[in-house]
Amino acid sequence: MIRDITLGQYYPGNSWIHKLDARIKIIWTFVYIISLFIIQDFWGYIIIVANLVLIIGISGVPLKFIMKGLKPIFFIILFTFTINMFMTKGTPLFHIWFLTITKEGLYNAIFMGIRLVLLIIGSSMLTLATKPINLTDGIEKLLSPWQKFGLPSHELAMMMTIALRFIPTLLEETDKIMKAQMARGADFESGNIINRAKSLIPLLVPLFISAFRIAQDLAMAMEARCYRGGHNRTRMNEMKLHRRDAVAVFFMLVFLGLVIVQAQGLFTMIPGLM
Amino acid sequence: MKNTKFLIQSAVIAAVYTALTLLLMPFSYGFLQIRVSEALTILPFFTPAAIPGLFVGCLLSNLLGPYGFADMVFGSAATLIAAMGSYMLKRIPIMVPLPPVLANGIVIGAMLYFVYGVQIPLYASILWVSAGELVACYGLGYPLLRYLKKYKNIFELH
Repeated sequence: MIRDITLGQYYPGNSWIHKLDARIKIIWTFVYIISLFIIQDFWGYIIIVANLVLIIGISGVPLKFIMKGLKPIFFIILFTFTINMFMTKGTPLFHIWFLTITKEGLYNAIFMGIRLVLLIIGSSMLTLATKPINLTDGIEKLLSPWQKFGLPSHELAMMMTIALRFIPTLLEETDKIMKAQMARGADFESGNIINRAKSLIPLLVPLFISAFRIAQDLAMAMEARCYRGGHNRTRMNEMKLHRRDAVAVFFMLVFLGLVIVQAQGLFTMIPGLM
Repeated sequence: MKNTKFLIQSAVIAAVYTALTLLLMPFSYGFLQIRVSEALTILPFFTPAAIPGLFVGCLLSNLLGPYGFADMVFGSAATLIAAMGSYMLKRIPIMVPLPPVLANGIVIGAMLYFVYGVQIPLYASILWVSAGELVACYGLGYPLLRYLKKYKNIFELH
């Protein structure tokens, strides 16, 4: 059960996208999501899809791998699609039994469905092409201006890094405890939902105790090495912006510009284009 | 010692939260979610280190999950609000699991409605998510709180 879990969805690679600075990629993702909500018609999706195809192409992440990530949310996509199709009022297209499909409903369903798929593929590109450790570093750097206002950005990033480091250990620990409790006759797999939830208690209590023991040891080890927060700490990998990051920012601005121009309907003003 | 220990405790709580979310992956995300790790939202009862811990845990889980950025921003914000609420209510143990039910129900319900365009009425979306949270927080969280009370000393910051 535990073997199946790949931590996050990172796809190791050495592409141009992989090498980009994590900060730039986070901002890019923000811009991408905002632009998905600026777009008001199907023409707009052409820009988004073209951009996405380009990014996936450069990153070298296989399409199959990306689609695998879509699987767990297939249900919600289908659900949104169906609900949109039947619940929107407008000119009826045809009836099935007591359900009516309207023109607006079909349009809405397809439009929202595409938006959802693009939203998820786009934002998973961030985690697919960035190591979790780089992501937390990026978040720390992006939040550091808020430090002046009392936001503990270094502490937050440190917590994330330590947590990421401990997740595999804890997964292993959970597996061990589960087996130990099963050997004592614990049953994790039958009963209704409340009983099943309750059956997790003999798992959670020992897990906590062992996790806090780890915390105790680690805190002591860090103290012994004179850890005292973020002031003047140096790091193993300094984040530096390269020329490729500037190129990425340039493309981001072009992309955002195109989306805004399209959404404002400015393309239609050019005679003969549409 | 106290600061470092606080930091590490938060980190470990975040790690437990994320590990549990990932372990029970298909049920942890989205519309019909019963996120077992939400049972940990009772931890502010024992230690204030749980407030940043749960926040970071939720942030990491959503970062690694399939739902992307919106979930990461709104989900973690809801968890942070809930954890602060639970901490303030720690004098009344039965109320401790309540803030996560409310905060997540409202924020995540609204997020599913507005961001992901799930076209059921807003109140239904909120009720739906709250129901899942109710199972996790009262069905599992509250019994967990009562058991962990026996092991209070592991949470001490000394």
